[in-house]
Amino acid sequence: MRLQFKCKKKMIETAAQRSNIYGLLALIYRAEINKTLLQHIKEPGFLSVLSGMGAELKDDFFKRPEDELIEDLAVEYTRLFLGPGRHISPHESIHHERGDGNWGELWGADTIAVKKFIETSGLEYKSGYTGMPDHISVELEFMQEAAKREAQAREADDNDGALYCLRMEKKFISEHLKWIPVFCDKVISEAEMAFYREMAKITKNFMEFEKGEIDNYISEAEKISSSN
Amino acid sequence: MSNLSRRNFIQLGVAGGALLAAGEGIISPSLAGAVKLKRGGKDYNFITFAKRESIPTACLSCVTRCAAMGYVEGGKLVKLESNPKSNRTKGKMCAKGHSGINDEYFPDRILYPLKRAGKRGEGKWKRISWDKAITEISGKLKKLRDEGTPEKFMFHYGTMRASSEKLIKDVFLATYGSGTIGNHTSTSTSAKKVAQELTWGKFFDNWDFDNTKYVLNFGSNVQEAHINHVPCSNRLIKSRVEKGVKSVTFDVRFSNTAAKSSEWVPIKPGTDGAVALAMCNVIMQNDLHDKEFFKFIRTTENVNDSTDNKVAALKSHLSQYTPAWAEKISGVSASKIESIAKEFARAKPGVVISFRVAIAHYNGVETERAIQMLAAITGNIDNPGGRCRGVKPEWKYPEGPKDKPAAKRLEIVDGTGVALPTHHVSHEAFKMIKDGSKGRPDVYMWYCYNPVYVNGETKEIAAILKDETMLPFTVACTNVYDESSKLADIILPDATYMERWDWEDNYSPSQIPEYYIRQPLVKPLGEARDFGDVVIELADKMGMPLGVGASKEEFVSKSCDMTPAVKAAGGLAHMKEKGVLYDKKATPNFNGYKKEARTDGATLDEATGVYWKGSGDYTKTKGAYKQYVGQKIGDKVYEGFKPDKLNKTGYFELYSALMKDKGFSPLPTWLPIPEHEKMKSGELVLTTYKVAIHILSRSSHRKWISEVFHDNPGWINPQTASALGISNGDKIKVKSTVGEIVTSANVTEKIVPGVIALSFHVGREESGRYGSGRKSPEAGDNDPDLKHKFWDTYGVNSNSIIPNSSDPISGQLRCMDTVVTVTKV
Repeated sequence: MRLQFKCKKKMIETAAQRSNIYGLLALIYRAEINKTLLQHIKEPGFLSVLSGMGAELKDDFFKRPEDELIEDLAVEYTRLFLGPGRHISPHESIHHERGDGNWGELWGADTIAVKKFIETSGLEYKSGYTGMPDHISVELEFMQEAAKREAQAREADDNDGALYCLRMEKKFISEHLKWIPVFCDKVISEAEMAFYREMAKITKNFMEFEKGEIDNYISEAEKISSSN
Repeated sequence: MSNLSRRNFIQLGVAGGALLAAGEGIISPSLAGAVKLKRGGKDYNFITFAKRESIPTACLSCVTRCAAMGYVEGGKLVKLESNPKSNRTKGKMCAKGHSGINDEYFPDRILYPLKRAGKRGEGKWKRISWDKAITEISGKLKKLRDEGTPEKFMFHYGTMRASSEKLIKDVFLATYGSGTIGNHTSTSTSAKKVAQELTWGKFFDNWDFDNTKYVLNFGSNVQEAHINHVPCSNRLIKSRVEKGVKSVTFDVRFSNTAAKSSEWVPIKPGTDGAVALAMCNVIMQNDLHDKEFFKFIRTTENVNDSTDNKVAALKSHLSQYTPAWAEKISGVSASKIESIAKEFARAKPGVVISFRVAIAHYNGVETERAIQMLAAITGNIDNPGGRCRGVKPEWKYPEGPKDKPAAKRLEIVDGTGVALPTHHVSHEAFKMIKDGSKGRPDVYMWYCYNPVYVNGETKEIAAILKDETMLPFTVACTNVYDESSKLADIILPDATYMERWDWEDNYSPSQIPEYYIRQPLVKPLGEARDFGDVVIELADKMGMPLGVGASKEEFVSKSCDMTPAVKAAGGLAHMKEKGVLYDKKATPNFNGYKKEARTDGATLDEATGVYWKGSGDYTKTKGAYKQYVGQKIGDKVYEGFKPDKLNKTGYFELYSALMKDKGFSPLPTWLPIPEHEKMKSGELVLTTYKVAIHILSRSSHRKWISEVFHDNPGWINPQTASALGISNGDKIKVKSTVGEIVTSANVTEKIVPGVIALSFHVGREESGRYGSGRKSPEAGDNDPDLKHKFWDTYGVNSNSIIPNSSDPISGQLRCMDTVVTVTKV
């Protein structure tokens, strides 16, 4: 039995939308916001989605001249995530409390685990990438790619392939992404600019949503995989 | 913002998508490439994350020989898995395959050539060099050959297949000139093979589970053991789970295959043939047969008969086999037989499958012929979803010296009084050696074989093998010290399949041939050597160079160059890298019999309608089947069902003139089992079975699986047990005309009344500490798991009480027929 067209379409869309959200969040945390990205964010369509989600970006975001806003966001990004001095390092090995105590430092056990996970999936770190393997943006980007591949597999009627991706996503969520809400809480309380605070809220909410939904996606996919 | 809805995220996903799609000028990502959907094929050390060397190879735990991957770290084999590129296995491997690693490193492994120091069988050994061993063996072999009596060298083998079989049997033994060659086919598939040779020409019935809508199973435990196990079981379970395909299993025992079927139909032992005949009768009388396929079926003496006559003749023959008649014989209700027959005939396509529980009987050939008939009359032959003639790769290989002598042989491997022993009757060889009237071998050598365990009447075989007056010189090539090698004069330490080269060729479940190879994962341990290399050296020593290369590796390499499909793909280099090769665009090979044959240079044999390249009487000319070209049907000539080993026509022969010639019924018929007809009250039938994690006699030394399964209580139905005063767990004695064994009773509904079931695999007298509790000569103690071994029961060998009697048509060992008494001890 071929997957019902409607059902297949919905599953492709869900995977693609999830991929997009991961991709968007990866962009936000990857580096300071540049002019192009800011212009996209400030487009009315995008802003209405954010406001629909209850994100309050405050007046400064809309009233500040663009160049100054970029400067302010860059300073905030540096203060929050780069240092020097007290900052919230956006790396899993810092925040993910492991039972063996091997955490709280850069390039810890989880850094290696994430690198291995990602490389085993078939992806590789670009030669120009100078960051650490477990940076939040990389982990989000990994999920973006996995969900994207899932959508492609579904599109090609490769139900087993789609299921394989979903199981991999679940493994990554449960083994790695669970540090992100902890990290977001820290950003929410430390952020001075509404933009990063609101983005951290959305990120946290999305992580919780994903954690709750991934099993449903899998059981839905398993049903399809076993019915044809 | 704590509770965002699905709708919010959908909107964010859409907006995010638009933003990401803009691309240019947005901060570029950190990761490159794409997530790959490959499963397996790579492995990592979980502590250091170092990537392990992964080497494609082929398993040889069982005869299925699945394409595999070996993972090696620091020269040590650390893991075996399936090769994800294999179309046969779809990247799956069974527990037997995974435990292969135990075969490599078990502490009782024989690692050096050994020569007996005391009396034969006494257990005293001394290490000798390979040089000495080869010199002694080649000296004896050369003498026999020089004296013109090469037949006095008897070679006996078990699971020696593909390139090993070609090099050792077809090149080395053929060049040497001995035809006194025994195998182990009579203990496994002879009846199936002969029945298939009689009907559609050549053995191997592939079951197309990928496309089937109904599975009708007579006595196959394909989910646990089969000569194409993982490729078949994997596809059967997929069709069951993913497509809900119905399967009905007839078996005396509730096997795991029965458990995974839609329905288990308990049946009395050896009566599957009666049920199959009655089903055929129901189908014919109700006109549910496939009229189109009847064109290719022969049911009468006249090869030019019309379809109407053929149908009428078959209806008439089958009319005696009513469901009510079959019910009396089999215990299966007439209504069940009738309803399954009709359901199966209407299912289209449906596949009839069969194996040892139904076949290893006095009437095994007739049962398999009846099963072939069931498939044929419903049009489920060679069709997608049906029972198909197996497809496997056609390797070319160096054939050795052109002028080989005509093989001479002692007439001791075809049994006595067997009508069509096309696969030999090797289990009777020992009785014939004891008898002596057909001569005795001066040198008896065996490889991949344990005659004292796998045949019936094992005590008698042990006594013959021990007797120097009957067998003056014995050589075993093995890596396990077992019941037979302990009776050898010389033991040659065999390389494991993880240490050697081969090309491989087992059947493909998808009707698309798959080429694959075995390459060494690690260097041979100790002084172990591949027997393929050993025969090349033996031949050199005797002054009869084989000219196939200096080693098995060269033999395999040359084969890769000689085989067009492999050569085109890049030859050995490609095979070493990928392990497997199949044409992804190939069309599965179905309905080949419908192709019209080219008759250039062939003549018509009027009596049979066969076009062939010989002259004279096709049926009576020895080996005429090799010249077969096609079958005339009406005014056309078709490729038909090409014969092999027997001079049958190109029809699907339900009517067999060859059977008639041998004094049997030309059409499949019911043959009652003589001993079962004469059973007294209180007597039971012994049936044997295999479990999913063990391999014949070849795995009890593997610690992982012997830990799980190391004892075999006898299964008895509660009704039978109660009549015999036996309770669950009681110690019981199982006695036949040739011996007795003591085990415990497993009283269970999972076996039909009147039967006792004992598993194979265990009851080992030797096979190292994990399998028998006994340490092998020269064995080490450095396996830390020896300290963790907790079991000290090793089961019983059911073969020891099975008589070495044969089915009169094929010579199959009747290992499911033995009548026994069971008493509480």
